[in-house]
Amino acid sequence: MLKFALGRLVSAIPTLFIVSVAVFGLIRLIPGDPASLMLGDLADADALAAARRSMGLDQPVPLQFVIWLGNVLQGDLGHSVLNGQPVLDLVLQCFATSAWMVLIAVGLSVLIAVPLGMAAAWKQNGGLDLAIVAMSTLLLSIPTFWLGLMILLGFGLKLGWLPVLGYVSVTRDPVAGLIYLIMPVATLVLHEVGIIVRMARASTLDVLRLDYITHARAKGLSESAVLLHHAARNAFGPTWTLIGLILGNLLGGVAVVETVFTIPGLGRLIVDSIYARDYAVVQGCLLFVAVTYLLVNLLVDLLYPLFDPRVTAE
Amino acid sequence: MSLSKPALRALWASAALALPGLALANTLNVQITADIRSSQPGINRDAGTDSVILNVVEGLVAAGEKGEIHPMLAKEWTVSDDGKTYTFTLRDGVTFHNGETMTAADVQWSLEKLIRDPEFSCKTFFDGSRDAKVESIEAKDAHTVVVRLDRPDAMFLNYMAQAQCGSTGIVHRSSFGEDGKWKAPIATGPFQFGEWKRGEGLTLTKFAKYAISGEKPDGYGGRKEVLVDEVKYVVVPDTATAVAGLKSGALDVLPYLPPGEAAKLSGEKDFTIVAAPHGGLVTMLFQTADPLMSNVDMRQAIIAALDTAQIVESVTYGLGVPNNSLVASGSLYHTAAHDKGYTYDPAAAKALLDKAGYKGEKINILTNRRSAINYDTAIIAQAMLQAAGMNAEIEVLEWASQLDRFNSGKYQIMAFNYSNRSDPALAYQTVVGSKAKKPNTVWDDPEVSTLVNQALQETDQARRQAIFDDLHARFLAQAPLVMLANGLDVGVSGPKVKGYRTWQGFARFWGVEKSQ
Repeated sequence: MLKFALGRLVSAIPTLFIVSVAVFGLIRLIPGDPASLMLGDLADADALAAARRSMGLDQPVPLQFVIWLGNVLQGDLGHSVLNGQPVLDLVLQCFATSAWMVLIAVGLSVLIAVPLGMAAAWKQNGGLDLAIVAMSTLLLSIPTFWLGLMILLGFGLKLGWLPVLGYVSVTRDPVAGLIYLIMPVATLVLHEVGIIVRMARASTLDVLRLDYITHARAKGLSESAVLLHHAARNAFGPTWTLIGLILGNLLGGVAVVETVFTIPGLGRLIVDSIYARDYAVVQGCLLFVAVTYLLVNLLVDLLYPLFDPRVTAE
Repeated sequence: MSLSKPALRALWASAALALPGLALANTLNVQITADIRSSQPGINRDAGTDSVILNVVEGLVAAGEKGEIHPMLAKEWTVSDDGKTYTFTLRDGVTFHNGETMTAADVQWSLEKLIRDPEFSCKTFFDGSRDAKVESIEAKDAHTVVVRLDRPDAMFLNYMAQAQCGSTGIVHRSSFGEDGKWKAPIATGPFQFGEWKRGEGLTLTKFAKYAISGEKPDGYGGRKEVLVDEVKYVVVPDTATAVAGLKSGALDVLPYLPPGEAAKLSGEKDFTIVAAPHGGLVTMLFQTADPLMSNVDMRQAIIAALDTAQIVESVTYGLGVPNNSLVASGSLYHTAAHDKGYTYDPAAAKALLDKAGYKGEKINILTNRRSAINYDTAIIAQAMLQAAGMNAEIEVLEWASQLDRFNSGKYQIMAFNYSNRSDPALAYQTVVGSKAKKPNTVWDDPEVSTLVNQALQETDQARRQAIFDDLHARFLAQAPLVMLANGLDVGVSGPKVKGYRTWQGFARFWGVEKSQ
């Protein structure tokens, strides 16, 4: 187990290097000079040159990369051009904000979607199955910005049950923070349930077709015993992998939901920084997202044997 | 049982009443679309940041509604005969937010610190590279500050009052930490800088000991009486969410709303829409070095094909004021001569096209989605140009990319907004110059440059007026760009708010009341 984990971490190093090169290069391929953006219509040649110099953009790009990489290896992701804050502080702060929302949302999605998916598979082609599949297709198809806005207008404005504005961090005021998260979490849950339920259904169907299920039924076991004791664990494996992918993606930021619900999370930070051409923040965020993604997937793989003993760490 | 909003409010009100001595702070909740960049005036700023910070800091002088310069922290000043020495006499009884009384030594220290800072946005206004150099700042006695320039500069006080320069706001040295790094403004304004949660918002609190002077608010000056306990700025990037916040009562003021969104609210009672032109310029720029656009007849043809009044009416949803002069609508120099503008004449446009020898070449209009006004302007202009027989097309860029094209001069026509300029000379200075030296220059004419420089040096109002009148006549004749209107700030305030109005892009919160 430990050897496997270490091996994965070591193999992550070239991946991260490639990611850092790609991120560094891509951000500089986008048109739009950070110095121009900072000075706006007050720019003149001297001011532009001075701004570029202070941002280190007057150096050759490869040299910029070497300097940046050297700093990153010392734990220094640089400073935001926009507000002067250390990038690492900014990223961790915004990540914590996003993570609270995402972890709650994914947790709830799993609790709702997996039982529904299994029920749909069990009653394949029946009314319940059709209803669940139709509902999941619908939820899957609705864009989160529209869904979020409808929830905001409905429950926040029309009914007045939930706060439209006034984000409060969960760590500062747990009750107010959780109340504020209800609508964004609901938006994410409704969308993710649509995805997870289909995977849970599909993998449960595959399992239900296997011979050992037939054997279990032949032994005279009840349907609930067949589902819960025999089918569930095996069916959950592929769904678990999908959940890991979803979690990795969402932890990288849910910019749209964060914008609609005015949540200062990682996704919004990335989008705002791209528009502002705040290179240091974009580079730092995307590198952080890559690391997060790798770690989440490692965790998923390490926990996989819990559901499928055939897969071992050796 | 579910609690409706009125029931929740009733519960909260009951709870508040039940607790003796507990009083709800009278908080004005204001939307900002992006967080401020820093709290240091004049450094690492943008228009949104200035609009917040200038409620907190004040300079020696302040710009009034018409762009004139008024006393603020200085109660009066004299200028030497050679125009190089300004002697400011400070007001008595001005207190910093930390309780200290402001002295001439504080002013000297603060001004030196600011204008010598390499990051100061307006460094070139004061270091001699653009206008006069500030040779020295001296505290002659406890109430007198003497500023010496290396040469006369009629714009010196205007520069000091510029929003982009943080109004050269005077801050106490305790605004900086022991390590010399900026902490937060300890200034003299009617609001104090309160808690700032990055990415979420910030709070300004009423400065109870503020020394009120003047009879009524006047631009950045005049009477600054704070009528609420605090102003809380909430970062709400999404317009739809902000409007929902306004309707739910979570927000009281949306200072900068796209005109179309504000127009939707005009039909609803209880919401007050305030729209005011400022000193910025809403334009369509010509690249006069372009083969096609270098022909003045071609440019005149385009102008004749554009119904600029109709364009302004449409893109501002009836809230804007057309202005074809670079002298702002609200400026005291905007006389009847500057009301003379473009004439919409499609027939004349065709005649001018023939004269220019136009053969259907492609005309590219650059625009962006960041500004609804720029985008809509380009759409309507394209239609009008096509109606006049021109092969116009639109290219929509992201703002950062368009800015690159602006700075490099690589465009034919560009829908573009310039930020606020508090004086007509600054507006002309912005667009006039040498393309060889400054590629984002629009109007390259040596005689015009000379006139602009004269306006920058002239202090006599009548002589300045004559210069501006001359410049306007040349502007109409040479057509270096299309001036549509001054920048427009559209704000909406909710039912509990009284007295809010925007001015020069500044969301000003003294004189604004909120009922409970």
